[in-house]
Amino acid sequence: MEANQQIKTTAVKGTDTARLVRAMVKNIYQSAHEAKANGQKVAYMMVASQYDEILRAMDIVPLPTENYAGLCAAKRDMDRFLLKAEADGYSQVLCSYARIGLGFDSLRKELGHIPEGSPDGGMPVPDMMLGSSAVCDPRFKWFQATSRFLAAPTFGMDVVAPPPQADLNEVRDYYIKYQRDQLLGLIEFLEKQTGKKMDKERLWEAIRLGDKAWQIWYDIDRLRVAVPSPMPSQDHFSIMVAGHYYSGTQIAVDFYQKLYDEVKYKVDNKIGVIADEKYRILYGGGLPPWHTLWIFNYFESFGAVFVIENVYRGFDPVEVPSHVKDPVDYLAWRAFLRFTRYHEKARAHSGNPIVEKLLGLIDDYKIDGVVFHACRSCRATTIGQTHIKSELGKYTSIPMMQLVSDMVDLRDYSEAQWKAQISAFIEALEGREKG
Amino acid sequence: MSVVQKIEELYNERGKRAKELHDAGKKVIGYFCCFVPDEIITAFDMVPYRIQGSQNDPIDEADALLEPMACPFARSCFNMALKGEYDFLDGFVAPHSCDTIERMYHIWRSNKPSPFNHMINVPHMMGPSSDVFYRKELDYFIKRLEEFSGTKLDQNKLRDAVKLYNRRRALLRELYDLRKENPPRVSGTEITKVLVAGMGIPALEHIELVQDYIDEIKGRPAPKADGLPRIFLWGNEIDDIAFIRLVEECGAHAVMDDLCTGTRFFWEDVSETNDPLDGIAKRYICTHCPRSLKPQDGNRQEDLESRFGYMKEFISQWQANGVIFYIVRYCDTCELEGPDLREYLNSLKLPVLMIEDDYSTSTIGQLRTRIQAFLEMIS
Repeated sequence: MEANQQIKTTAVKGTDTARLVRAMVKNIYQSAHEAKANGQKVAYMMVASQYDEILRAMDIVPLPTENYAGLCAAKRDMDRFLLKAEADGYSQVLCSYARIGLGFDSLRKELGHIPEGSPDGGMPVPDMMLGSSAVCDPRFKWFQATSRFLAAPTFGMDVVAPPPQADLNEVRDYYIKYQRDQLLGLIEFLEKQTGKKMDKERLWEAIRLGDKAWQIWYDIDRLRVAVPSPMPSQDHFSIMVAGHYYSGTQIAVDFYQKLYDEVKYKVDNKIGVIADEKYRILYGGGLPPWHTLWIFNYFESFGAVFVIENVYRGFDPVEVPSHVKDPVDYLAWRAFLRFTRYHEKARAHSGNPIVEKLLGLIDDYKIDGVVFHACRSCRATTIGQTHIKSELGKYTSIPMMQLVSDMVDLRDYSEAQWKAQISAFIEALEGREKG
Repeated sequence: MSVVQKIEELYNERGKRAKELHDAGKKVIGYFCCFVPDEIITAFDMVPYRIQGSQNDPIDEADALLEPMACPFARSCFNMALKGEYDFLDGFVAPHSCDTIERMYHIWRSNKPSPFNHMINVPHMMGPSSDVFYRKELDYFIKRLEEFSGTKLDQNKLRDAVKLYNRRRALLRELYDLRKENPPRVSGTEITKVLVAGMGIPALEHIELVQDYIDEIKGRPAPKADGLPRIFLWGNEIDDIAFIRLVEECGAHAVMDDLCTGTRFFWEDVSETNDPLDGIAKRYICTHCPRSLKPQDGNRQEDLESRFGYMKEFISQWQANGVIFYIVRYCDTCELEGPDLREYLNSLKLPVLMIEDDYSTSTIGQLRTRIQAFLEMIS
């Protein structure tokens, strides 16, 4: 039998620390298998749901199904799961993360075991599934649909953010109260599943670690204003694993400290990602093309480095008022402050918080061009890109481009088309340089 | 003009009556989906207008501002707004019903702002704390309307509005009852027209129209038995007759529905509570839409029953013997709900045809063969 040849999909990293992430990813799934063997509870979960620290405080092993979809794409082993979900009746335009997850769960049920050769050993059957409305609709609906393939208790949690025009003084209290009530509902559910009460001191400890990790991550990104760029976006798409999948642990803190030290060294010694950095690019938004991350290196071959990005580190550090003494209240406050970070600025200027954030990045990071990635099956991160591009155009004349494919479904990707677009984009950057 | 002609005119010239009212000084408030209470807008002496798209017109201008992988219904509505067809709106209200509507609200507001613009954050989860939050969002919506109108909300007017809309709901249910006959005296195509006609006129005018229409239908001779299949339709937005007419042309009766433009918006009454907002909030948050998540209830079978059990009455009383799903493409929550609902309906021995469409009359013809094959199978 002919062995399948692995097609290269990943990018060459800019930092040594980012290379440690591969083992961390493997460990996510390995830990879940070990936990199952040891009788510890494992939960399917959604990142950025504002509940990470609660899982850590309750010794629940998180199993991020979206990350698994990205992993399958990076390994170019997604088609069998996508096609299975589609054969089960899920539309080809449905979120491809969800299709991979549903396809995987369906195949595992059908076979009676984890599909052979699944990336990183596959995902074990979870003890529970924790959906959330943070970021998009499929994230709370997907696990409901998964109950077709496995019998695990499911909980859906609302995560709410006021629109930018809302008067925060009017809405703050009831938004925070609702978030708190939703978190308390989750804790009640988890206590029932685990048979033990949550320890608030442990939650405080997880929050402290979570905040510390995100603070260092933020500090790393601030170092990245340096010219030449010490760390590119392809590294960001790896190192975000610590902040999202290890949030609330010392592992994440240690990892970011190590990365900080490396990036700081590179900045101090003016060591750039590439020898001759000509153009500094902002990854303006959209999920990354997990199937083709080497594209970042392709940009670099033209002297264009992605120096910062607007995805995954979605929140800057915030200061929760000191009168908040309860850890669940703290999480609710922190969520509100994170989501409304750019609201006031937007109200005073462009009206759009994302535009404000991007304008700040363009200025701080000395950006020459912006690239967005539109994913055909991700409405949440794609709808609005065209509008934002157009709004940014009112304040800056730098070239901007929108590449279209999908985060994991390769059928939506055309290498030839991308290369043609990139070529035109580089020409625009060159033209601007000469001008 | 006969009632049928009036319906025909309102259906074909959507927005005409609302524009007249706007020109006469009335404030017209456009909104999306089933989560914005008509009663509140009406209590401010304003006219609620359910925003519709156009399946007949290509989406062109909107594509420059809104990605083509967004829901084509929403894109169509926005396209119409960009072309000035909604310039008569004095207000634009979007509930956070789904990713597309929420994101489009900001784009719409930025490119085509109305004098009044507002987004209501509707909880995705269902439960006591969600009820409280939604009620607070309605309080905030009212406060914003008070600022816009310069008048305080009159609780008595709100109570009257609850009664008014409940009257309309009762009449629409009566209209639907006429479809229980076999064969029904009124077609799904005709029902769609009268529902769409009501989306852009004051409730009182719609009540009069529906009452006259019921009288007209009752006067029709009972049709001869034809043995055609009776179809229950499930999906999201059908504000054009093209699809339902196609189903009926293929040899079936569309007798009942669970659609955003059908029973979902009118089937359940608002309870007449002491504080009218309590009843309103409770009623609207319970709207059956796949974007709302009921807490899991028991094992798989029990949970499916909890989610979809309400449809049993629709199916049994209207004697449906087949179900067609009409899903406007890119509706993630419908796309995820569809296979679960199909499993549930199949367990009731009901055959299901699942259709995903582009919200365009130009593509609907391609569905004919699939519908014919399905009807042949269940006949």
